[in-house]
This record gives sequence, structure tokens and C-alpha cells, in this order.
Amino acid sequence: MTPPTWILDVLAGVMLTVAGVSAGRLAAARPWRRGTAVTDTDIGHLLMAIAMAGTLAAGLRTLPSAAWVVIFGVLTCWFGYRVARDASSSGVRALAGRHCTPHLVHSGAMVYMFLALPPLAAASAGMARMGAASQALRYPSLALVFALVLAASTVWDLDQLSGRRYRLESAAVTVGCRTAMSITMAFMLLVMI
Amino acid sequence: MSDLAVPGRRAARRGRLGTESVPAAEPPDARRALQLGLAGISLLDALLQYQPVMFSRTFGQMLAETAAGNPGFIARPIAWDATLVQQHAVALNAVFATIQLLLGLGIAFRPLTRLALAASVAWSLAVWWLGEGLGGVLNGTANPVSGAPGAVILYALLAVLLWPADRVESPPFTAARAVGVRTAQGLWLVLWLSLAWFALLPANRAPLALHDLLAGQADGQPGWLAGIENGAASAVGSHGLAASIVLAVACVLIAAGVFLPRPAARAAVVLALVVAAVLWVAGQAFGMILAGGATDPNTGPLLALIALAYWPATPRVAEPGVAGPSVETPAS
Repeated sequence: MTPPTWILDVLAGVMLTVAGVSAGRLAAARPWRRGTAVTDTDIGHLLMAIAMAGTLAAGLRTLPSAAWVVIFGVLTCWFGYRVARDASSSGVRALAGRHCTPHLVHSGAMVYMFLALPPLAAASAGMARMGAASQALRYPSLALVFALVLAASTVWDLDQLSGRRYRLESAAVTVGCRTAMSITMAFMLLVMI
Repeated sequence: MSDLAVPGRRAARRGRLGTESVPAAEPPDARRALQLGLAGISLLDALLQYQPVMFSRTFGQMLAETAAGNPGFIARPIAWDATLVQQHAVALNAVFATIQLLLGLGIAFRPLTRLALAASVAWSLAVWWLGEGLGGVLNGTANPVSGAPGAVILYALLAVLLWPADRVESPPFTAARAVGVRTAQGLWLVLWLSLAWFALLPANRAPLALHDLLAGQADGQPGWLAGIENGAASAVGSHGLAASIVLAVACVLIAAGVFLPRPAARAAVVLALVVAAVLWVAGQAFGMILAGGATDPNTGPLLALIALAYWPATPRVAEPGVAGPSVETPAS
């Protein structure tokens, strides 16, 4: 069984919107120019949103699962490195205020999801076909752990977003995209348990 | 756009990879932290409502089953609601899940916290009746181990206790801030004494009742959780009566704790946290989420949140020369 297809399509649409916003921000940063900076969060958002949209929508073909595992494995290592560096320079408590921690969780969740997908879904068939074949994620306990962390991360982000923290418009966009991705990812994990 | 750049010549030549700068995080106060806990559980609840089985007729049948044994004036609306849900399962469940999602997000988003908490009370009361059959309170099937008096009524209780108002100048615990000390103590007493009462209901104190309940929770669970459930069932064995009495005594001690001096009150809250954890893991198997088809994470995490709302405040010594009470009112 799967949720109604239109719900999966709506969420895929939201993910493609996030991907579009992230791509726009990356293009606006003009990374081909000397001395410009590209945010790793936008790269992460772009890749995760495309991967999730491909898993949600049956008609959308992206990369095979193995390729996504490699990509998100690299991202997990990158954000893990950033988190470790933040922790050593500013202390563990400061991690709550950094963007890297939730992105580490997101990347880890993506690696888990693509590794735990049953064969049919892993072959780019998406959630719809997976449900029709009555297949579920392997190691479901990990899915629940990731879903709990993502839910906690979402409410924390919303609290901070609505507080005094994010006055910068760009940061609000980042948090908005992240919230949409956290909810969608938690949804996917719980539905596929 | 970036505050940190990766050092290296190649990175400097083209684009640099960095992370967006953000101001320091604001740590929430105790009540806000508990509100965020409630928001997180509501969010999880909402996402569980989007599970495939909830969009089928099975969901309506689950609702219909809660009418059994209830008085007619309670059961008839449940039957009507269940029929409606069976006929329009997809549309209605999408609405239900989305409402719950918005409640969870609303509590977390500060400008909407009041509205979301108020809506959460109304929603919870409606679902407690039409979706949970008042948690089995009126038909003798309520069992604290399996989730009595119903997770959803605890959402309403938490929304009231965590309402953003300050009626007491020096509240002895967080829950007293919104409703006052006496009302908060009364609600705590009613909750835990009712759990003690439910534990001793004839259906729950039968020799094999608890064993069968725990063993039944193992179905469809991952191996490690099934092992916990089966181990707990074996440990209880045919001593259902003794186990029920132990649970009831623990609930009575917890209920009394809120009226005791601070050290004893803290011990009671710790005991409440332990009971909540044991109920959630062994009794409720994490709300049966891992077995699929769970509608909520059950009462364990909500009981823990309620307990934390009654954690006695640390005495605050005023600076010399500053007017006002030097120590906050103790829990006693």
C-alpha cells in the first residue's frame, strides 16, 4: 500500500521547487567568477531535493540508488567534517545554531534511505511501485530514529525562524527549504517503514 | 553569502565553498522547550496519519471498533464518524493528517503558538471522543500499559498546561505558570490516580492479562523489540495481579509527589519519567510505529513531557539589595 499518488506528486512538486530555489541561489552566487562563494547548504538542498523528488514521483527518473549513496556519502563526510570543525572551534553547544548539523542529519538519512530501499524501489521505481509490491525499508528502527531527529530539527528550526534569530532573508529561505525537506524526508521514512 | 571558505589555491581561483552565516541560537526557556517537545510529537503524529493504511477503509473500521461498549450517546456519533470516514477515506484522512501537521508546525512557530494550542485542545477533545472512544474510560477497557486514557487527551492536557500565560509570580513548576498551582496540582492528581485506577480494573489485573498484552505487542516488530516484548511478557508471566498492583502503587506515589517538599517531589517526577519510559518501551512498543499502522506514538512520550512540566523549580536567590522574595515558593 502507498499513500494516494497525488500526495506523493504534491510532495515531489515541493521538492522540485526547493531544487529550483537552490539552483537559483547557486546561479546568483556566480561560482564561475573569481572570489565568489558557493554555500554548501544550497548544493546539499539541490541534490537532496532532486533525489527525493525522484523517489516520490513514479514518473520521474533520476540517478540509480548506488549513485545517490555515493553522492550523499560524500556530503555526509563533508558536513561531518564541518560539524567536527565547528565543535572544536566553538564548542558542542554551538552546533545547535549552525546549519551544518541538520545537513549532516539530512545527508545521513539520505544515505540510509537509499541503502535500505528494497530492490524494486532501489531500481528507480519509486515509492509508488514499492508500496504496490508490499515492500518496506530495511532496518526500520533506523528510519524511526531519523524521523524523530528530523521532526525535532523541524520544530527547532521553526522556533528559531520565528524568533529573533533569522533576520537575514537568505537564511530564512535556507531554513524554509530545510523545513520542507525535513518534513518530506520524515514522511518518506515513516511511510516506508 | 559565506562566512567560512575552504582554504586552498584551487578554491580561491574559482568559487569558494562555505556555509551561510547565522546568528547564535537562542536557548528556549523551560516552557518553550516543552512546547517544542509537544510540537515535535504532534508532527510525528501527523506524519503517521499519512501512512497508507490510514487512507483505506481499515481506518474507518478502527474508529468503529472504539464505539463498542460505550454508552449510546457516546457510541452513536463514533459510529456515524466511522461510517463517514469509511466512505470518504482518502479525502477525510488527508484533511485529518493535514490539520495535525498544521497544529504541530503552528505550535513551533511562535506567532501561531497560542492559536495552535487552542486549536489543539478542541481537536484533541473531538478526536478523543470520535477517534478513540474516550480511550476506553467508560467501557472498562482502559489500560495504562496500552495507552489509557488515550494519547490524544494528553495533547489537550499539555496544551492547557503549556499555555503561554503567567498567572503565578513565582511558579514552583512550569505547569503552574498557565493555570495556577492548585489547578495544576489537581490535574496531576487526577491523571495519575486515574492511571492507578485503570491499572486495577478487572480486565487488567487478571493473571495473564499483562502477559498476553505484552506478548501481543511483539507481532510485526523488529527482532530486538520483539525480544524486549517477549522478555517482558515472560518476566510478568501469570503475575498480572502483582504487576498491576505495583503499577498502581507507583502511580499513587507519583500523584502524591506534587504535594510533597521539593526533594520528594523531584523523586516523584523521576519516578513518573521512569514509568513513562517503561510503558512506552515495554508496554506500548514505541506506539507500535515499527510494526506499521500506528496512529500516534502513544502515551509514553506525552506522560514524560507532562512530568517534566512538573519538575520543581530551582530556588533562585535574589541579589543583595534587590527587593522581592529571595527564594521561589517550594513545591510543598
